[in-house]
Amino acid sequence: MSSYHLNRLLFDLKMNDSVLKRATADLKSLMSDYDLTAEEKEALLSGDPRRLRPLGAHGMISLYILRLKPEFRDNIYWTQK
Amino acid sequence: MSLVSVLAASHAPNILLEPGREWEDFMRLHYTMAPQAGASKPALEQQQKLRRDAEKAFSALRADLEAAKPDVLIVVANDQFVNFFFNVIPTFFITLAEEVRGQFTRHAFHYKNHRELGRAILRAGLDRGIDFAFGEHVELQHTQTVPLYFLLPKPDIPILPIYVNTWVDPIPTPRRCYQVGELIRDVATSRPERVALLATGGLSHFPGSPRIGEIDTEFDHQLLETLRQGKSKTLADFSLEQLLQAGDSEFLNWMVALGTVGDAKASSTFYLPDLVATGWGFVSFKFDS
Repeated sequence: MSSYHLNRLLFDLKMNDSVLKRATADLKSLMSDYDLTAEEKEALLSGDPRRLRPLGAHGMISLYILRLKPEFRDNIYWTQK
Repeated sequence: MSLVSVLAASHAPNILLEPGREWEDFMRLHYTMAPQAGASKPALEQQQKLRRDAEKAFSALRADLEAAKPDVLIVVANDQFVNFFFNVIPTFFITLAEEVRGQFTRHAFHYKNHRELGRAILRAGLDRGIDFAFGEHVELQHTQTVPLYFLLPKPDIPILPIYVNTWVDPIPTPRRCYQVGELIRDVATSRPERVALLATGGLSHFPGSPRIGEIDTEFDHQLLETLRQGKSKTLADFSLEQLLQAGDSEFLNWMVALGTVGDAKASSTFYLPDLVATGWGFVSFKFDS
């Protein structure tokens, strides 16, 4: 099973501000732009990077799902790449 | 001319984050991957001491670099999903841009890029069976900016970013990285510029992994001892599995540097496990010139 699209969404959360903005407002809507399995969608909605890795998400970008969590939204980590 | 200075240094983001609130933020994020790692969380005083010790290590390296009076600094680092993604992952990549920029928190970076040296390495590689990928635009990231903040804070000389794929399977072997270093050394010898090289990354760490927080200090000490003995070439015999098990895949960047130094002994080494994620390592090789 290819995890290309799962990784693509996470990469876009890191690198594309407009994708981040859309995801913050409505992740479900954004996910419809990507070719994701039901399992991948469920893991993304959980917001838990530990659930993404077993589905093929790369460890280097799994953390970026946390950008959508209010408690991590202003984390210093996002101000560097 | 030849290589006049070869350095290697960790690029962990927390080296450049301020002890206190920025470190706490950083750790809070990382421990979501491995809550057990929070047990060894460093106190503010420990964070401050690590920062001071890292600054001392960088000062020693910077003194060696400046004494060598280089005309250009090659920076061998890995991309972490900034310039490359799964549509294209180059094993080795040479930057042919005119200039390169990047941002790390409140710190902005802007350097001229030494495109001519990049082209010379690219051409020599094609002639000798090492086919680099190349491109005319990259964005600098923490793998370059963290050590550059301490080592080349003013853009007085151009840099040349070279990328090694250290994180996306399949990654190159230590021996192949060493051969890339040998190629760079030969090109540097034929060039008019005084060439310095910095490899970044490592040492032991497991970012984004359930093993985050583990640091294989024994393995790292063994690596540094080998460099002090001038036996860097023996590390080309390491298997990828050995490096990955120790969390040292970014040592592949260092292997390129080691390919440039041959049997030279490291003139100074520093090792600082950060109690969070990474064994910070710093090395300098000095040469008569």
